[in-house]
Amino acid sequence: MLANTKKLFIEVGSFQQNKFGNSVCGDSVLMHKSIEENRTIAVVSDGLGSGVKANVLSTMTASMALNFRIRREPIVRTAKIIMDTLPIDSVRNISYATFTIIDIESDGNAKFVEYDNPQLLMIRDGSIHELKKEEFRISRDETQKDSNDRMIMLSDIDLQKEDRLICFSDGVTQSGIGNMEMPFGWGSGVNDFIVETLKEDPYISARELSRKIVKQSEFNDIFKPKDDTSCVVLYVREPRKLLICTGPPFKEDNDKYLAEIVKNYKGKKIVCGGTTSKIVSRELNLEIEVDLKDVVSSIPPVSRMKGIDLVTEGIITLGSLSEILERELPYNIDQKGADWDIYRMILDADVIDIVAGTKINIAHQDPTLPVELEIRRNVVKKLAQLLEKQYMKSVNLKFI
Amino acid sequence: MLNVRICVGTYCYITGSSDLIKLKDRLPEEIKDKVSFIGSACLGCDESEENPNPPYAKVGDVLIKQCNEEKLLDEIYSQLGIER
Repeated sequence: MLANTKKLFIEVGSFQQNKFGNSVCGDSVLMHKSIEENRTIAVVSDGLGSGVKANVLSTMTASMALNFRIRREPIVRTAKIIMDTLPIDSVRNISYATFTIIDIESDGNAKFVEYDNPQLLMIRDGSIHELKKEEFRISRDETQKDSNDRMIMLSDIDLQKEDRLICFSDGVTQSGIGNMEMPFGWGSGVNDFIVETLKEDPYISARELSRKIVKQSEFNDIFKPKDDTSCVVLYVREPRKLLICTGPPFKEDNDKYLAEIVKNYKGKKIVCGGTTSKIVSRELNLEIEVDLKDVVSSIPPVSRMKGIDLVTEGIITLGSLSEILERELPYNIDQKGADWDIYRMILDADVIDIVAGTKINIAHQDPTLPVELEIRRNVVKKLAQLLEKQYMKSVNLKFI
Repeated sequence: MLNVRICVGTYCYITGSSDLIKLKDRLPEEIKDKVSFIGSACLGCDESEENPNPPYAKVGDVLIKQCNEEKLLDEIYSQLGIER
């Protein structure tokens, strides 16, 4: 069940901040991870202007770019179709949204297409690695009013472990414009900032780094961003593994097997469920201590077991976790409770192995219970789906 | 010290132990220093009986079924030998 880890693993993290006072972001960030192909695609698009109009332009651009790439349409054709499709702005008389496409194949070969976004950065060995770029001219239809040709930049490289790709909208490079310190905006200052940040924390996750960059741009504008700001980071790394065990095995003979999995797993471990933790405790001879100090009202308290990173109650906690996962980022992730503890561990993991026991606790099906308890198998399936589709984790699900 | 174990497994939790564990913060003065509240991942309700009676709690070695605050305090007082 434990996935092949020899493949390159790519962690994708992104963060966005709206222009001050806007409730809609004019930038779009779309990502796609195909599990079968082990292929990762990310698109960043910045629509002309800001607000709803920009959002529509960038969403159209990003989703076209993403879907064309998934189907491996030729890049030039993709770019041309996008440029010809966008509606023309009535004020400025042009149709416009920038885009950057990052397409990484399973063997680590990455292709980039850039159109008018700030330069895509590639970080190797802690410093910026210059990409060899090829300009390509896309001619316009003659029917269009604005008949200027447009240039796209093409490049490609074979990625190695610990490489990072960083892409942002001009909200980042233009942040701080007009300030004493940076009259022309942050510009290439962001490059130094990234190198500095990596020096301090060489293994910073993609999620954290993208957040830091956007937060710093917000700071440059003294917390009133003048433009929509987005950043995507892709980080090639050794996958961080997480094991979630929940539920007693269908056959009691498998109790030992479950305990062995927990014992021998290399990575973080979570055990969810009273009976499950009792089985693990019995088989591995570990004591369970329940911590009653920090009790959050709706979720049963966490326990401690030596060698296990987190021990929680089962179905209530997992149910609440799936509710958290269903909501959209970003919001305050530093909340208390067993469900939030699991959530944070999930965000930091790349490969998630879920071992679910399918024995049904008949007592839970009592219709007079004050709370409705889902069947574990269903909850776990839903979790696995959410983690794959929305959080781009590779999930291995095993029922025992 | 008298050990009081409260089960915080799913079944017990939703049938009342979520309130029982809060009892530790408002114990009467005379027994406050004589008991220690401990949680338990499961006291075995799901396998030991045909018809389980949650929530379960254990005072010393005595298992209490369908435990509520009254029953729990009664047992604690009687084991400590203090008049309630």
